[in-house]
Amino acid sequence: MSTEKIRILYLDDEEHNLTSFKAAFRRDFEIFTTTEAGEAVAILNENDIHIVISDQKMPNLSGVEFFELIIPDFPDPIRILLTGYADIEAVIDAINKGQVYRYIAKPWDEQDLRMTLINAHELYVNKHALRKKNEELSKAYNELEKFIYSASHDLRAPLVSILGILKLTRLEDIDEKSTEYFGMIERMVSRLDVFVQNIISYYQNLKQGELITDINFDLLLDELFEHYRFFEGADNVRFIKNVAQHQTVRLDELRLKMILNNLISNSIKYMDSTKVDSYMRVSVETDNQKTVITVEDNGIGIKREDQKRVFDMFYRTSEVTMGSGLGLYIVKEATANLGGNVTMQSEPGIGSTFVVTIPNKQ
Amino acid sequence: MIEDKDINILLVDDNDIDIVVNTKLLRLANFKGGIQSFHSGNEVISFIRSNAANLVEKVNVLLLDIQMPGIDGFETLQLFEAFDDDIKSKFQVFMLSSSIDRNDIIRAETNPTIRKVLEKPLDVYLLRRLIEQ
Repeated sequence: MSTEKIRILYLDDEEHNLTSFKAAFRRDFEIFTTTEAGEAVAILNENDIHIVISDQKMPNLSGVEFFELIIPDFPDPIRILLTGYADIEAVIDAINKGQVYRYIAKPWDEQDLRMTLINAHELYVNKHALRKKNEELSKAYNELEKFIYSASHDLRAPLVSILGILKLTRLEDIDEKSTEYFGMIERMVSRLDVFVQNIISYYQNLKQGELITDINFDLLLDELFEHYRFFEGADNVRFIKNVAQHQTVRLDELRLKMILNNLISNSIKYMDSTKVDSYMRVSVETDNQKTVITVEDNGIGIKREDQKRVFDMFYRTSEVTMGSGLGLYIVKEATANLGGNVTMQSEPGIGSTFVVTIPNKQ
Repeated sequence: MIEDKDINILLVDDNDIDIVVNTKLLRLANFKGGIQSFHSGNEVISFIRSNAANLVEKVNVLLLDIQMPGIDGFETLQLFEAFDDDIKSKFQVFMLSSSIDRNDIIRAETNPTIRKVLEKPLDVYLLRRLIEQ
């Protein structure tokens, strides 16, 4: 506890109660007393009060009403209600509306009240510290948000420009050697871009609210397939789209894309180059309640010992050197955020299947 | 099917390289309509203002980069929204962005003037399909 004196404000319409309170406690505490609610508010304004005691039964305003009045402006001080007679209504009100810490019957027992005041002060100190921590935390959070915004643009904008230029080189007539080098540059830039995007989406999933829109899976998958067609290794993978969407589905598109992006890119990344026909199949089936997305491949599969941990943050399977260790963690978190679940089945050497089930939004 | 010759694309982006890339991507995808480029929101707004009579003859596709110095894409859009309905109805507005910021997407999706937020580099086939819709 701090060495600073505990400051107590006591409001009571009976002057002699105030006097005897002062007489009993003035050596231990710094005491402010008044018979007027208005003056009590003035004292609260001018002094850093830790504990507020109020009599319940007063002519103009009850103690509970007084507490209700001051809570919006002075939420921190600990409130104690005093009353001369047991009144169950007042007790209930005190707890619900006045948010009091203790309810004490008059006449008070000096030892008891002293302990109560000391405990109340300790509570005040803790509450105060917690509030301070919360303020610091929300400040840090806001700064983080700003950082993410600028990182997402400032880091990605140049990468995206480079990718645009490289996209052009694929469409123009350029000699073979250059094409090969441009291809290498594109792979490295894409890898960096995926990493930046993963970091961003991890924070976005953490921080941002839902935005529900109508989802057209056909269009969405076309868009994603078009994007991944030029991914490292994608030229050897057959993309298969299987959409059975019978109704309007409303979902959070950003998180949906986070999930699909990671599953699709994994299927391409972990294809099995010894197989003649590598494929990655995305199937979507919707009904009125839910959407089931299956991403299936005949890639290298996941080793038994890794299967349990692939959804862990920053877990990287033994043979992989290029992952951020965030991909499947994001899939798991984003799915959970949408109220759904994700399961995995994998056989080393045969392939992997991820099934994501998400309830539809209204 | 809207014919290319009836389409006029207005590209607004402060980044020269992105303008060149997007223009070329459109041309390499065999787009034969008009493409005009602008380096700022103010530039495109005054162009629309002084060429309204010609523009209303076309299907205009306004591609607005969100992050620009000076007035950004959303502020440019506000200026655009002040035009008369008979001009505005001849425009399809898309926002372009290289970042995938959620707040920008929310702002765009809740604005009835904006058809969609497109990610850079431009997916020309997606754009084509959206124009047809």
